[in-house]
Amino acid sequence: MKNEKITIGIAGILIGIIAVGLVFFGNPANMGFCIACFIRDTAGGLGLHRAAPVQYIRPEIIGLVLGAFLMAVGRKEFSVKGGSSPVTRFVLGFFVMIGCLMFLGCPFRMILRMAGGDLNAYIGLVGFAAGILVGIFFLNNGYTLKRTYKQSTSEGLMFPVIQVVLLVLLVAAPAFIFFSEEGPGSKHAAVIISLAAGLIVGAAAQLTRLCMVGGIRDMILFKESKLLIGFVAIFAAALIGNLALGSFNLAMAGQPIAHTDGLWNFLGMLLVGYGCALLGGCPLRQLVLSGEGNVDSAVTVLGLAAGAAFCHNFGLASSAEGPTANGKIAVIIGIVVVTVIAAANTFRKEK
Amino acid sequence: MYHTYIATFFSHFGAIRFSRELKKKGMKATVMPVPRNLSSSCGTCVSYESENWDAAGISEELEQIVRVVDEGYQKVYEG
Repeated sequence: MKNEKITIGIAGILIGIIAVGLVFFGNPANMGFCIACFIRDTAGGLGLHRAAPVQYIRPEIIGLVLGAFLMAVGRKEFSVKGGSSPVTRFVLGFFVMIGCLMFLGCPFRMILRMAGGDLNAYIGLVGFAAGILVGIFFLNNGYTLKRTYKQSTSEGLMFPVIQVVLLVLLVAAPAFIFFSEEGPGSKHAAVIISLAAGLIVGAAAQLTRLCMVGGIRDMILFKESKLLIGFVAIFAAALIGNLALGSFNLAMAGQPIAHTDGLWNFLGMLLVGYGCALLGGCPLRQLVLSGEGNVDSAVTVLGLAAGAAFCHNFGLASSAEGPTANGKIAVIIGIVVVTVIAAANTFRKEK
Repeated sequence: MYHTYIATFFSHFGAIRFSRELKKKGMKATVMPVPRNLSSSCGTCVSYESENWDAAGISEELEQIVRVVDEGYQKVYEG
């Protein structure tokens, strides 16, 4: 148990350093990693939405899945399973993305924004924890998406292979793949650096089961701090890195790719924490599980991607100017839908 | 002979219910996160001491039960 804490602490520090390093090498500020933003950028790179500033197939996502895949294979933990309410998971993933793009970041970027001095992210954290608390209420009262079943190896290989195809599309850059010429999508580290960073973090996250939702959940449920240590280590390493590079700026206003609407930062992350508690893991964890052969998590990632495309097609995503009216409506609908899903899978009649 | 067992589940509530069953029978049960060296999944498990592994019965929520032995874990049930 003690060894596990040391391992996840070291992994967290490594991940925090890599995250700050990616910004140094070209990623947008406070966005060394953002699973939501990067899935959104990838959806844009494939033309699934046409928001010109956020179109780029992010090698970090590809690396995360493949890093987790290789680590799982190496540790003989690649185990293909699925069938635990996949469509429900797709819908939860869809609305988690709407929450993320209201706040402008996944839980991982929330920590990186906190480490950059973005005070809006601290409000996001309160909402995130509140959402997890609501989720835990249902978990303790019988919530389940039902069991998984073993699936064929080829089914489990499908998602990692799709990542290789995405990498080929990125490198070959045929005319139908979109590349942002300005905005966040145009800011990125070199492909090889991003890919390597993703591979290392994916492998480390598979090894340690790092999860932003799991950290808070286990602390509340069991007073177990192990996963939370990973969370804190990323924050500490990124904070020190930002201070060293002079990119720490403690303020609400003027933060990179962020807005100052506290209520909607809170509600956006509440939706994320709520949905992820019901999914059993944050977006990063879903990517890692999809690399381990969990096809339900792969479906969840597809839900995240679909959510991202809709966010930009329907004008739901926030910008530095703040949230949109459509986005606010979508977050409210999201909270209602997630509650209906939670209740329907909690208070059912026993057979 | 008494052994220590760890049961893992497909849902968090499965673990809660399992531990309630054991406690009803007057047995000690601890609900906790699944140890990393047992599984790469991050769910909830129940650790308990018993003469027989199926003291709390079998439910559809049950993923597996292992006996804790010197060398690690020995699988005694898989759902």
